[in-house]
Amino acid sequence: MLEWMVWTPPTAAVFAGLALLLAGMAVWARLSPPVARRGFLRIETDRGDRLYIGLISAAAVLTGWIAVTDLSMWLALACALLVALVIGIWG
Amino acid sequence: MTGRGADGISPADAAVAGGQVTGEVLTGDTLAGAAREAPGEHDASRADTRTKDNRAWFLVLPVVVSVAFTAVIPLMTVVNFSVQDIFSPTDRIFVGLDWFRDVARDPEVRAAFLRTLLFSAQVLLLEIPLGVALAVSMPRRGPWASAALVVVALPLLIPWNVVGTIWQIFARGDIGLGGWAVNTIPGVDFNYTLDSTDAWITVLLMDVWHWTPLVALLAYAGLRSIPDPYFQAAQIDGASGWATFRHIQLPRLRGVLTIAILLRFMDSFMIYTEPFVVTGGGPGNATSFLSILLSKIAVGQFDLGPAGAFSLLYFLIVQIVSYVFFTVLTRTGR
Amino acid sequence: MARAAGPPAAATGRRPPAVAATARRQLPWARTVFWLYAATLMLPLLWMFGMSIRPNEDILGGFSLIPQRVTFDNYQTFFTDSVWYSSYLNSIVYTSMNAVMSLVVALPAAYAFSRFRFAGDKHLFFWLLTNRMAPPAVFLLPFFQIYQSVGLFDTHLGVAVAHMLFNVPLAVWILEGFMSGIPREIDETAAIDGYSLPRFFIRIFLPMIRSAIGVTAFFCFMFSWVELLIARTITSVNAKPIAATMTRTVSAAGVDWGLLAAAGVLTIIPGAVVIWFVRNYIAKGFALGRV
Repeated sequence: MLEWMVWTPPTAAVFAGLALLLAGMAVWARLSPPVARRGFLRIETDRGDRLYIGLISAAAVLTGWIAVTDLSMWLALACALLVALVIGIWG
Repeated sequence: MTGRGADGISPADAAVAGGQVTGEVLTGDTLAGAAREAPGEHDASRADTRTKDNRAWFLVLPVVVSVAFTAVIPLMTVVNFSVQDIFSPTDRIFVGLDWFRDVARDPEVRAAFLRTLLFSAQVLLLEIPLGVALAVSMPRRGPWASAALVVVALPLLIPWNVVGTIWQIFARGDIGLGGWAVNTIPGVDFNYTLDSTDAWITVLLMDVWHWTPLVALLAYAGLRSIPDPYFQAAQIDGASGWATFRHIQLPRLRGVLTIAILLRFMDSFMIYTEPFVVTGGGPGNATSFLSILLSKIAVGQFDLGPAGAFSLLYFLIVQIVSYVFFTVLTRTGR
Repeated sequence: MARAAGPPAAATGRRPPAVAATARRQLPWARTVFWLYAATLMLPLLWMFGMSIRPNEDILGGFSLIPQRVTFDNYQTFFTDSVWYSSYLNSIVYTSMNAVMSLVVALPAAYAFSRFRFAGDKHLFFWLLTNRMAPPAVFLLPFFQIYQSVGLFDTHLGVAVAHMLFNVPLAVWILEGFMSGIPREIDETAAIDGYSLPRFFIRIFLPMIRSAIGVTAFFCFMFSWVELLIARTITSVNAKPIAATMTRTVSAAGVDWGLLAAAGVLTIIPGAVVIWFVRNYIAKGFALGRV
């Protein structure tokens, strides 16, 4: 039944990670409700918004990296995570 | 925008109306200032008075389930496709990010990307001013207003493939009025099936024909929402038609025009049906936009891996633009 | 409710008071320019109609502005050739199914979005938008695989479900736009009068927004009617849409232009029939209820 979805361990891990992240955010929101504020992005965001913007920016960094250089993707991943982190904290 | 905050008379409106009542004559400067400082209309800052109740999740559950089936599961599958070389469901190799590298560096994909961007830019440059001009000149009351609305709206309700068919016939040099007129009157040799510039112009003209009405209708709705005191004040000032447009109508159109620009960008960025019917992406690659190239790789060649990687990169761009769209719609004024 | 039922003037909250016509003076020549544009707009349409009533020999025989011989053979062919009329019927069947399914799913959700705050509501609303904005080409391959594996390939139900991808988000956004225009006091009054939520929703709320429902159904119908890529990919014979049939008119004898034009004219009819009733809502529908 699910054979056509051609799962592989790495993609399964990525989706499991995303699901965990969402669940974690939901629990966190229950413990301390998110507060919207304005950071260097100049729009009002709460923590979920910043997570989304961070993830999308990270994906954009990875894409740009793979399109331009042959340097290691681990380095790209580090940069992407850094971007996501910066947006998550100060965005 | 919607009922959210669109109902209230903004302070600026009230100021103009008040000036009217007391017979105070507004100078051109204060008038323009009032028009410029009218943020109230697209202001989402009204306190959110909706009841807080997590049981509302039961109401949205059907939507979540149906869209999960039609969007999430396919998207997961695309992700799986994109990291493997698949010969059959049981015979496949994990290749990591190779397909992404291939697709991101493929000259054909890059050319299609630039072509699509160029097309979107040209569409916006042509359709937005034309649509605004059309909306301004549309009759706004009287028996002709409804007739004008229907005539302008008609192209929007024509199925996209039929729009393609219409232009396929209309632009042909041998049987179409448009192509025949260009070939005969200025004597230019126009043939969209052979010449890539002609094909591009045909597709662009078709899009302008098809979608300018949308910009016009949005701008028209924006114009109708401008309160009459503005016009009365302009009249008292003896403002010319152009000044009225520049200082009263145009500033109040900012909200609807933002929506129009984003909608037109999105739709022209994923355009498929119309150019597919008219030119099929040709001649050569002249009108092969991203969607056309992607469906060629996916359905034509059935290359699951590259098509998957291509889809995800495409989807990333769509995500970014959608987020901008959403932010503009829900947060302007804050 | 007036908000949902009235023309745009009412939709923005108030009707402009009657003023002297000169107060809304327009730029000079505006009317003339406008009607000239409208005439240009109609030219390609009229041309296609002209093609549909000519015999093929006349179309290819030489250029003429006015049809030399008027014939309805092309239409007759359309209605007697089962490939053509059955694909026309296929399109009607799956678009209608899709409109009904999308509305049933979207109505409660739109109500929830317009009346309640709940965990993740904003993000959910945005996620719906991304599905409306996503290019159908992205979903082609998995759709092909899914519908084959669950046995929905080449069925009307399959196409109807696949088109929910963009029509459910569209319906939720449009309906939310309309519903937010209805004062919440009505809900509160009904609750005080002892109406339960489901009873209030069906007996009071739905009748109040019936014009909004009509408009939304129309837009679902239309977007499903015009979609070509997905519908073509997940069907082969039994549920083949008219749009797919129209892209395959090239035969050994070349393109059958007259028949193609006749099919085009007939495909425009559903839109042309309702255009008068939805004229004030077209912008709203395309702008996802945000105007």
